[in-house]
Amino acid sequence: MNRYFFYLFLFVALMNIMIFVPHILNDNRFDGSVAAILISPIFGSIMIYMFTNALSRFPGQGLPEIFSQYFPRWFTTAYMIFYAMMYWFSSTVVAMAFAVLINRFFNPDANVLIIMSIIVLASGYAATRSTLTVMLLIEIIIILNVPIILFIIFKMVTSPQLNLDSIHVVANYVWHWPSLASLAAATFIFTGYINLSLFNRLFPPNFRFKFLWMYPILGLIILLVTFFVPIGFHGSQGTAQYIYLWTITADSLMMQYGFIERVMFLFLIVFLNLSLVYTTAAWHQAMEFLKGCMPSMKPETDSPKAPISNYVILGIFTMASILYMVMVNENMNLAITTAWLIIRMFTEVATVATVFILSRRRLMPR
Amino acid sequence: MRPIAPIILKLALALLLLVPVGGCGFKDIDKRFFVVGTGIDLSGNEEKPYRLTIQLAIPSPKIEPGTSKFQYETIDAISIAEGLRMLKAYVDKELDFGHCRIFIIGESLARKNITSVLDWMVRRRDIQLVANMAIGKPDAASVLKIKPISEQYPGNALLLSFGADGTESSYNYAESLSGFSRRLTEKGLDPALAIVKGDKNKGYIINEIALMDKQKIKLVLSPDEAQMFNQLASRFTKSSMHGIYRHDGIVVAINQLHSRFRIENQDAQHLIKVNIRMKTVIEESSSSLMEKDLKPVEAKLEKSYEAEATKLLAKIQKANVDPLGFGLRYLAMNPGEGSWDNWQRIYPDASFKVNVRLIIEGTGLIW
Amino acid sequence: MIERIKLLFAEAVDVKTALLSNGEASIEIAYLSSLCKEDKINNCIMVPFTKAEIPFSRHLETNPEYEQVEDPAKWQDMLLRGYVLIQSHSIIYSFLASDVISSDGSLTQVESAIQGPQLALSEDLNKSLNLIRSMYPSPELCVEQYTVGYESRTPLYILFDQRHVDSMVLDNVRSKLTSINADIVHAAGELEKLLVGKRLHLFPTVLITERPDRISRSIGKGKVVVLIKGSMFALILPATFFEFMHAIEDNYEAFWMTRFLIFLRFASIVLTITLPALYIAVVSYNPELFRVQLAFSIAASRSAVPYPSFIEVFIMLFMIETLIEASIRLPRYIGSTATTVGGLILGQAAQQAGLVSSIMIIVTSVVAISNFVIPINSMSFAIRFLKYPLIGAAIFFGLSGIAVGVFLYIVYLCNLRSFGKPYFRLHGKLNPAEGDIGGADIK
Repeated sequence: MNRYFFYLFLFVALMNIMIFVPHILNDNRFDGSVAAILISPIFGSIMIYMFTNALSRFPGQGLPEIFSQYFPRWFTTAYMIFYAMMYWFSSTVVAMAFAVLINRFFNPDANVLIIMSIIVLASGYAATRSTLTVMLLIEIIIILNVPIILFIIFKMVTSPQLNLDSIHVVANYVWHWPSLASLAAATFIFTGYINLSLFNRLFPPNFRFKFLWMYPILGLIILLVTFFVPIGFHGSQGTAQYIYLWTITADSLMMQYGFIERVMFLFLIVFLNLSLVYTTAAWHQAMEFLKGCMPSMKPETDSPKAPISNYVILGIFTMASILYMVMVNENMNLAITTAWLIIRMFTEVATVATVFILSRRRLMPR
Repeated sequence: MRPIAPIILKLALALLLLVPVGGCGFKDIDKRFFVVGTGIDLSGNEEKPYRLTIQLAIPSPKIEPGTSKFQYETIDAISIAEGLRMLKAYVDKELDFGHCRIFIIGESLARKNITSVLDWMVRRRDIQLVANMAIGKPDAASVLKIKPISEQYPGNALLLSFGADGTESSYNYAESLSGFSRRLTEKGLDPALAIVKGDKNKGYIINEIALMDKQKIKLVLSPDEAQMFNQLASRFTKSSMHGIYRHDGIVVAINQLHSRFRIENQDAQHLIKVNIRMKTVIEESSSSLMEKDLKPVEAKLEKSYEAEATKLLAKIQKANVDPLGFGLRYLAMNPGEGSWDNWQRIYPDASFKVNVRLIIEGTGLIW
Repeated sequence: MIERIKLLFAEAVDVKTALLSNGEASIEIAYLSSLCKEDKINNCIMVPFTKAEIPFSRHLETNPEYEQVEDPAKWQDMLLRGYVLIQSHSIIYSFLASDVISSDGSLTQVESAIQGPQLALSEDLNKSLNLIRSMYPSPELCVEQYTVGYESRTPLYILFDQRHVDSMVLDNVRSKLTSINADIVHAAGELEKLLVGKRLHLFPTVLITERPDRISRSIGKGKVVVLIKGSMFALILPATFFEFMHAIEDNYEAFWMTRFLIFLRFASIVLTITLPALYIAVVSYNPELFRVQLAFSIAASRSAVPYPSFIEVFIMLFMIETLIEASIRLPRYIGSTATTVGGLILGQAAQQAGLVSSIMIIVTSVVAISNFVIPINSMSFAIRFLKYPLIGAAIFFGLSGIAVGVFLYIVYLCNLRSFGKPYFRLHGKLNPAEGDIGGADIK
């Protein structure tokens, strides 16, 4: 069952490309990104350890249930709404980034709002399904897409175009103290564990988290690839000029003998799938958190029929996302995302610490 | 009762589907004109400095050598983007750059300034970053207008010359758009492009390399130098070298070549050490080499190669370009502020030491 | 003896036990009715016993066909092989009355296997049960009888192995069977629809098969099998998507080849669903996806076609679908003519007339052929429909539309449950001590 935790971790870690992490890191590449990359696995593994350890004392319970056991209702409600907002936000940013990307590279003549609506409606529908469905969906999408990602990364890393000297030049800036933004961006890779705050409902009571040592290592590898491969392709100076860094990097590569020559198409399709599943998972969690505020709601992981409240909440989310798209332009989106990444980091620390303390309190005899 | 929410959702989806009907980029492949080659020259006209030549493919159901058909369009414009927009008035179908894999820059333009051209290329979303770049001599238009007899479909011949699935020439220097644009921005790594010339309107000759600084051509390498440059840059395709051993000409085919360099600081004098290891087979020799010790032959060839390589490196150094990335290596090895300024001081005075280890693995099928 | 046999066997309608008495003596007999010839039992046991011309115990002692059974541990085994057990004066005799269906059974037609068992289920419930019993000779096999249909009163058997079966699924099936509200039920497919209960569904969530070997394997895996009288097909439930992709022959042939075949089936599903849509998307939105040669040859062969790409696709798909439909409905001898005329002549002519491009002919045939690779017919039918919504998505949104469409299909599949069990789920290794995901909710 540990594979399910692995998926939760992995799909968020891979999504970093869509949430501007490479861009933020590259902006700060001479101002401490490298140090942030090296610090973040430590931060991440502490967080993962604390959270999994705490949650294993609350088997089959999500964050709303745990909080409502210990805190007054108003606090739980406020916290859940805030949490839902955070989740909604991250996925909206991803959806918007991808809509723009599709508009640029696939359908240059289409209206970006319509593309956004389709993405949002598709993942909105998916998010109304039950928690178990969402989990199975994550698994399938990961299994279908990760081999392709591995293949693309393999092609990139072994490509003669990858200039190790450029990477070395940037890596030399390791002694610069990381800025807050770069640290927040780098730690995003490890944030997949926070999905447990809802998906913990699915795990059976006797479940043990295993192979925890693997996550920092895997995260570090993903982070290094995310950051250094574009530098190797575009040079230590050139990376900054590109907005869609990874798409451009994928476009710099050609599959000489592949059915499709341009890697970029493969890359975009794969990340479209991942973005959809990310949006789905985030909205589903946001929805469940909101439902957790209502006292009458009983947590259900696999209800045979989706309750009406699901549709209502997701309908609001969908509308809000489209509205966001109308009001915010690309540059603002980037700035807002950076702010989001920073707030996210602090929220996470607060949540993990709270749950951890609660789990210790539970252990102590009254 | 069935919940009505999914029905509403479906209705909303259906409505949304109806909205974009018409005008969302649906354009069939036969209504598109594929640009297979783009040439950019200087027109000599002050007001409209750029001359844009595009080679448009006319698809034909038969794909046979010599049957490829083209249409050319040329226009002078203030800027490239402008010219392209004006060109649309000249053709009956939508121009599509999706398959344009060859960009040729005229020599006169390349000797002046190519920054704005490159900016246009990188900015356009439909231009592939894997597209090949080259310099056309005497100008891009004339190179594009060559019709090779053997060409199977439009634009194929030039593409094959640059790609790895066609000919593997040791004189050619294939550079992609992404690689070129990287070299234009990177400190300590300068761009280089192959020069394409027409061969009496029947084919192409690609055996010279233009070395550039961040803006324009600084040095043009002759075919022999071009081959050696490719070897030094580890862009190795199987090549040959010839030398003289006891007054007899001898030619060896190089099967494997590794080249790496190091920058050493000896008594304030910077030394760039280039180590080359190659494995060769004798291809041509006027005298029989039976039972002879091949060591002296190797030593002789090594020596002559070292001398030539040092000469080439010095020539590149004198032109003050750095296509091999010595500067980048220096930056990588010497972190810290001011490192780049240091390098700019160091490079003109640095000396080269080429070290060749040549191994003759065999003498071919005869002694 | 009877008490003991009832303990040995799971509750099944075909376990027959009787206490006979003819005034002088009384015997107990036990047998599995599905495995035995009832007339042989009548002739050799019932008639001599009731007529009682000679004492039946003498009969038992003299006739070598009645063998004495010393060891009670053998009872189970003998019953499952078609023996009748007779107890007379506390001595147990056995008598072979087995009914082996071999040549008189009908051969498999829908799900044929080259080297597997060739017999299909029978329309007669007892014969089917006989086949299954002989392939799954376990005392744990439960057989329950139901009837459905107010008018047709069609008898049904549900079969399962009581050790392996999931009690939740079983309760679900039982309650659904008793609550079926229909006048006439004849076919397995009809019963499937009634059991699933959803009006609009894209995929079959119950596996319909005619192969007794597939059934016995499924019973061993803890599934429930429903046999219906008058139909050669049985229902296996709960089913997962992956079982529909699994031909029974995969168990009989070389390992790597069968893995490759399974991969091939999935690849052809993807092709048959997406290829027409991809053709539209690539031809009309992103021709740069092709290699240059291909792009030019498509552009050239399309230049004669006056219609946009999707009309072309619709023309060809209409033709191929009507062809398939015609060759199924027509009598077998005319069917092949229809395919020849349609496939060979029409396709060629349509291309020459400039109605469709030559690549489109290839696309259509790949779509049709790869659709037939799917081993289970009901799934093959379901998949045939899936390409049309994607074509719609491709017309309006090109490649991204297809990707979103495929994503929605996957969501739909993940959302499906077959009798409470996830339908589209990869089963990895399960640690029984930890339990399954979603397990917490059920308790």
